[in-house]
Amino acid sequence: MHNEAHKILFAFSPDLDSDFLKDLYGEDLQQAEAVFESSVQQLRNELLLAQARFHAGDTAGLKKVVHKMKPLFGYIGLNEIMQQFAAFEEVCVKATSITETEKGFNDITSITEQAIQKIEKETRRLKQFNTQYL
Amino acid sequence: MKYQSIIVEDLQVAAEFLKRFCEKSGVIDVINHFLNAEDALQFLKDNVVDVIFLDVEMPGASGFELLDQLVYTPQVILTTSKTEYAYDAFQYNVTDYLKKPFTYQRFLEAVQKVSKKTEQQNGNSDMDHMFIKSDGKLIRLHNDDILFIESMGDYVKFITPAKKYITHNTIKNLETKVNPQVFMKVHRSYIVNFTKINDIQENVLFINGNMIPISKTHKSGVMQKINIL
Repeated sequence: MHNEAHKILFAFSPDLDSDFLKDLYGEDLQQAEAVFESSVQQLRNELLLAQARFHAGDTAGLKKVVHKMKPLFGYIGLNEIMQQFAAFEEVCVKATSITETEKGFNDITSITEQAIQKIEKETRRLKQFNTQYL
Repeated sequence: MKYQSIIVEDLQVAAEFLKRFCEKSGVIDVINHFLNAEDALQFLKDNVVDVIFLDVEMPGASGFELLDQLVYTPQVILTTSKTEYAYDAFQYNVTDYLKKPFTYQRFLEAVQKVSKKTEQQNGNSDMDHMFIKSDGKLIRLHNDDILFIESMGDYVKFITPAKKYITHNTIKNLETKVNPQVFMKVHRSYIVNFTKINDIQENVLFINGNMIPISKTHKSGVMQKINIL
């Protein structure tokens, strides 16, 4: 009963789409923690890869990385960012040179870095909550 | 009933997320996960699964290119972050289309569709005939009368010894509807009644004097199906 009461108490941060996350994970906050943790790791790796593609002037390669990063934001309740990435993916498709992607690239880099911070914070909250059941 | 499945997904997070749902459902066993279509195809050459959870855009070949090369037709659930593949999904007769990320409830709906389709397919195994719409009427064709079915774009041609019937349909769609004990796909444009095959030479087979190509990817399936003494 004690645990049940705590389950009801957990609420995702208002910085994230908490209603959507509630739908996505239900009461399975262990899964949420695992996905949040993996997502941060993968976002870091993919961001490095995106930077490498951008500096190599490889727009097609950059588009592929952006495409792969996009759904990650969905799993962590940052659906608006997913849309921003979708728009930037289109910019990459249409770009004839890497300079055309520069502004968008800087934007998505900064967005991703901020998102990583938010998600790290949320992962810590989830971890703290979930350890109550150990 | 438990379904054997594989996940073809280049995004590790998405694959782990899906695996967890499969475990929770208690009816889907994930026997393998592949990060690209090529590795999955290699696995599927030697292994049979009931369901493929398939991403569309992956490094290398796409999910649809994988489906083009499959010798048999497991049920396919597309998992993609775009909705623009709906038309292709329809063409490939996939069981369901999940937009990532999807909820557990939505996943369960997809599993229900798999069960329903399996029931329909099992029912089809006993069918000895089919109805086709041709020349403005529904015509009953017995399996034994059909020599083969040939694609004509958005239409297909049913060839019987007496007559040819043209109807609005696709080979992809028919593949899952015909009795698998009698018919098999030998090429992206042909389904044949394998009880009617007269002979096979290299990559072609003959039925009543009609020469039908066998694609490289379907060759091993054909050879497994016929009774070689």
